[in-house]
Amino acid sequence: MTATRIDRGSTETTSVYSDGGDLVFERIFDAPRDKVWKAFMDPEAIPRWWGKHGTTTIVEAMDVRPGGKWRYVSRAGDRDDVAFYGEYLEVDPPQGFKWTFMFDVEGVGPMGGPETYVFEEIDGRTRVTSTGHMGSVDVLEGALSTGMVAGGLETWDRLAELLAKG
Amino acid sequence: MTTDTLSATFAALADPTRRAILARLAHGEATVSELAAPFDMSLPGISKHLKVLQRAGLVEQGRQAQWRPCRLAPEPLREVAGWVEQYRQHWEESFERLSHYLRELDTQQQTKGDDDDRDPNRPG
Repeated sequence: MTATRIDRGSTETTSVYSDGGDLVFERIFDAPRDKVWKAFMDPEAIPRWWGKHGTTTIVEAMDVRPGGKWRYVSRAGDRDDVAFYGEYLEVDPPQGFKWTFMFDVEGVGPMGGPETYVFEEIDGRTRVTSTGHMGSVDVLEGALSTGMVAGGLETWDRLAELLAKG
Repeated sequence: MTTDTLSATFAALADPTRRAILARLAHGEATVSELAAPFDMSLPGISKHLKVLQRAGLVEQGRQAQWRPCRLAPEPLREVAGWVEQYRQHWEESFERLSHYLRELDTQQQTKGDDDDRDPNRPG
């Protein structure tokens, strides 16, 4: 534990916290590390789990080697396709990998940054730690504070309340 | 809006004084001295924060009137609102699905034997 860790809405199963400019997700999966690695690296496995509930993922590119490109398209009935894409930076099977994780935000352009995945085997189970580097501490803090208001922008009075709590 | 502008927006929002200024402006226009009143801060201090907010496109200041009231420019905030939340949901839900998927693989292997590692993704 470092002093800079701030919880960002952990759930029963997944720890979510920020650490400096990083946003970290941590979860233990009940499967050996090789299997977890394969779930991340097999183009046939990705559509089985990747993306939010109710979405379908199409793997368009997956060139798993440093410098190789990846591109997944996420499809859902109620919105336009969203593309997630980037480049593998480091690949170290089955211990982890690093890539850039980008997606286009409407009216804004590409957002995201480098992400590091670490797979640790613990008694036949695997701890997956995903660390997304979203920019400086300030940028992440600001981005998270917009997330706080994302739920309801109907009236500026409500926004005012939320900002005041900040 | 470019990613650079977005970074400026986020950086502007990271400061609690600036968030408080925005909260005040959400209620309506205000002059610089009105904005400074609740804070233990000099006018130049407040002006500095306002400049950051203006550069980020979050606050506009009237040019005509003598007292140059400031007002909130909501668009950039609306645009960026929630992208980190989207990112958070993406991984939370993907992890949930991954957990189910790995459990399914396990069941398939138990029924089909140990030699189907080469193609664990076909439904059993």
